[in-house]
Amino acid sequence: MVLAARTPGDEAVTTPRVLDVSGLPAYDISSRSPLWLGQLLMCLIEGSLFLILIAMYFYLRLSVDVWPPPGVQLPNLILPTLALIPLIASCAGSYLASEAAKMNDRRGMLVGMALNLVLAIVFLVLRTVEWYGLNFTWKADVHGSIVWSILFLHTYDVVADLIMTTVLVVLVASGRYGEKQRLGVHVDSVLWYFLVAIWLPLYAVVYWGSHVVGAPQ
Amino acid sequence: MNPVLETAERNEPFGNLEPEAIDKTWRDERGLKGWLSVTTHQAIGKRYIVTAFMFLLLGGLEALLMRLQLSSPENTFLGPGRYNQLFTVHGTTMMFLFAVPVMEGMGVYFVPLMLGTRNVAFPRLNAFGYWMYLAGGLLFYGAALTNTAPDAGWFAYPPLSGPQYSPGKGVDVWAQMITFTEISALCVAVELIATILRMRAPGMSLNRMPLFCWGMLVQSFMVLFAMPAVMVASTVMLLNDRTIGTHFVNPAEGGDPLLYQHIFWFFGHPEVYIIFIPALGMVSAIMEGSTRRGVFGYPAVVLSLVANAFVAFGLWVHHMFATGLPQIGEAYFTAASMMIAITSGVIIFCWIATLWTGRIHLTAALHFVFGFIVIFVLGGMTGVMLASVPLNLQAHDSYFVVGHFHYVLIGGALFPLFGAFHYWFPKFTGRMIDERLGKIAFWILFFGFNLTFFPMHIVGLNGMTRRIYTYPEIVGWQNMNLLATAGAFTILLGGIVFIANVLTSRKSGAPAGNDPWEAGTLEWATSSPPANYNFVHLPFINSRYPLWAGKADRGFVTGMRSDRREVLVTSVLDAEPHHRYVLPGSTIWPFVTAAGLSVGLVGSIFAFSGYFVASALGMIGVIGWFWPREPLEMKP
Repeated sequence: MVLAARTPGDEAVTTPRVLDVSGLPAYDISSRSPLWLGQLLMCLIEGSLFLILIAMYFYLRLSVDVWPPPGVQLPNLILPTLALIPLIASCAGSYLASEAAKMNDRRGMLVGMALNLVLAIVFLVLRTVEWYGLNFTWKADVHGSIVWSILFLHTYDVVADLIMTTVLVVLVASGRYGEKQRLGVHVDSVLWYFLVAIWLPLYAVVYWGSHVVGAPQ
Repeated sequence: MNPVLETAERNEPFGNLEPEAIDKTWRDERGLKGWLSVTTHQAIGKRYIVTAFMFLLLGGLEALLMRLQLSSPENTFLGPGRYNQLFTVHGTTMMFLFAVPVMEGMGVYFVPLMLGTRNVAFPRLNAFGYWMYLAGGLLFYGAALTNTAPDAGWFAYPPLSGPQYSPGKGVDVWAQMITFTEISALCVAVELIATILRMRAPGMSLNRMPLFCWGMLVQSFMVLFAMPAVMVASTVMLLNDRTIGTHFVNPAEGGDPLLYQHIFWFFGHPEVYIIFIPALGMVSAIMEGSTRRGVFGYPAVVLSLVANAFVAFGLWVHHMFATGLPQIGEAYFTAASMMIAITSGVIIFCWIATLWTGRIHLTAALHFVFGFIVIFVLGGMTGVMLASVPLNLQAHDSYFVVGHFHYVLIGGALFPLFGAFHYWFPKFTGRMIDERLGKIAFWILFFGFNLTFFPMHIVGLNGMTRRIYTYPEIVGWQNMNLLATAGAFTILLGGIVFIANVLTSRKSGAPAGNDPWEAGTLEWATSSPPANYNFVHLPFINSRYPLWAGKADRGFVTGMRSDRREVLVTSVLDAEPHHRYVLPGSTIWPFVTAAGLSVGLVGSIFAFSGYFVASALGMIGVIGWFWPREPLEMKP
């Protein structure tokens, strides 16, 4: 499809008065879809939210001498670091599913999403164990408030995305899907990559923060 | 040449074929369920605008009550508690329930028309955003009318707004109302960016896009980065401190009230530009329609809009000069605050050049533009003054500041909005608005505005602080305050003339036709008011002002299906057609989702578990919203 030539000084060039688009595809499962862009923008919103929380962490850290406050145990680093392995690996599932969605490969979509779900659930189990290991709550002091806020909001987003993915699995498995739902599978992976990627700085702040920028009493 | 097309050309510049089939596809259902299911951008845009004007009236009445109280010294018309509630509700209403939503509404209505497409990219999200906004407004006024109005100011600084000094539910309602309106603003921002970047008419490369769309694009990106900050401030920090015992603003446990101010103003300053940048787009559109030429220096205007948005994120500390921040920081923010006068100045000079070289058609809309330039330049001058730390420290929290920000907000947003309303009235209603009454309304509003807010600068420099509910006679502020009160009632009179003009012109104005101003952009290429699908044939353009170009330089798109809601997706920079895209049909699910979320979010004011209710109901709504409908496959 060629539009009017956009050469310099093209004012005099006459253009076809009718542009026939009947030959264009009726759907496109790729980053050119408006839905993909919409999902990216949603990630930008959540990204701003988390970056503000990170900024708050350091602001609060700088306004006190002792960090974390007295009585707070430094978090264990082993478990959260191990938990990164299934989390990052789960992106492979997302990628498989999103590529399979482009090719309308039902089995590929199901395998990819299932892999994503299983690894993400392993991650969530480890997250829960870590969480129970903390010896403070949001009520203890402002360190507790910011750490719990970050953990809660990220976990909330992860759970929400997993529910969405589960719905997509149900739709694809039951055969109740068309281009729109395939586009949904493709776009769902964008959100998952984002949630994994944003966890890396959040993990560094929540777990390494008090080790690296902390100061004992 | 095809004879059918030739005939069509006379009726509509972009062709006129088989409207019946397409009308059937894009029509909304009738009845209550149909009304709740509407996803047409025009209907949603109008709902935003009408709802926002209702809140403008309420906010205005609150202002009148405050002016009555201040009209004489030691007045007992209102007590201090009631007065605190009034200024809080007034500020909150004007910022969150009027100014931002009305700009979003104008964007939702006009952006798809100006881009030459049929709807926004996410019509259901659009409907959902409106319902969230309405629910937030109802929550806020429901609480205010049952005597739980917040009273800690529209920015609710802790510790005053904290659990210790603001018992009761007023501040909680304030904090959660923010969530509702910000969700709504974010929905509109996302859908407008996607629409602007992906659904422009073929040939409308970014450098041919109308300036109003540029304004909405820039504003939408600002919303994406600014609104999360206010949600962090109002819910994560303030509301959680108040309801579940976090310590973000509690200095006893390491929290810091100043951090709240930083986060709030990181949103709050861009907020001013979120309101102002669409207004700049409106002014540009009015100028083009009233001078019959394109805005002078289009690239300079676009670059200034973008630069304004960037600089706006580096200004927030000038709201906090009195908090004792390090001097180096203050110097930086002073410089940045003055810098924004440069980019704003570029735009003003481009407009002056446009007026100078255009054929001016002195419409009521252009009156409002002139009023805007005068008032906004005055407000900008006091802005440059306040950017300087020594003056700022003297004037801090005085009526000088109140005068300044009403000059920039009313001058910078409300006058352009009223102008735009007069300019686009024919498009909304199909009828012309009465020009003479419009000009009368303008002169009353312009006079009343200056009478109200100019004396505030003087009384502020004389030492009157903002937010006091009365003052003793001996300080001598009486005359200026009386003048301001007289001005406020003059504004009311202007408002009544405006409303009367709208109501009568709507019924009995002269029929407008497609393009009464002989303007050049695409919203004038279709009928007034436009059909649900905007254009029978999507336009295809080859210049910045297609309606001013010769017939050879525009055309229309064929080959779109009329039996489903198809739009054309084009490339980001050059708007080359890429694929067709089917928009979802109208459905009640966005309303159901918004209702479920609202119930939960209202509950969260009382207990944190409300969030879980909101999530569960919201998730059910979203699943219903996305549940596949037949036919599943979208074969071309």
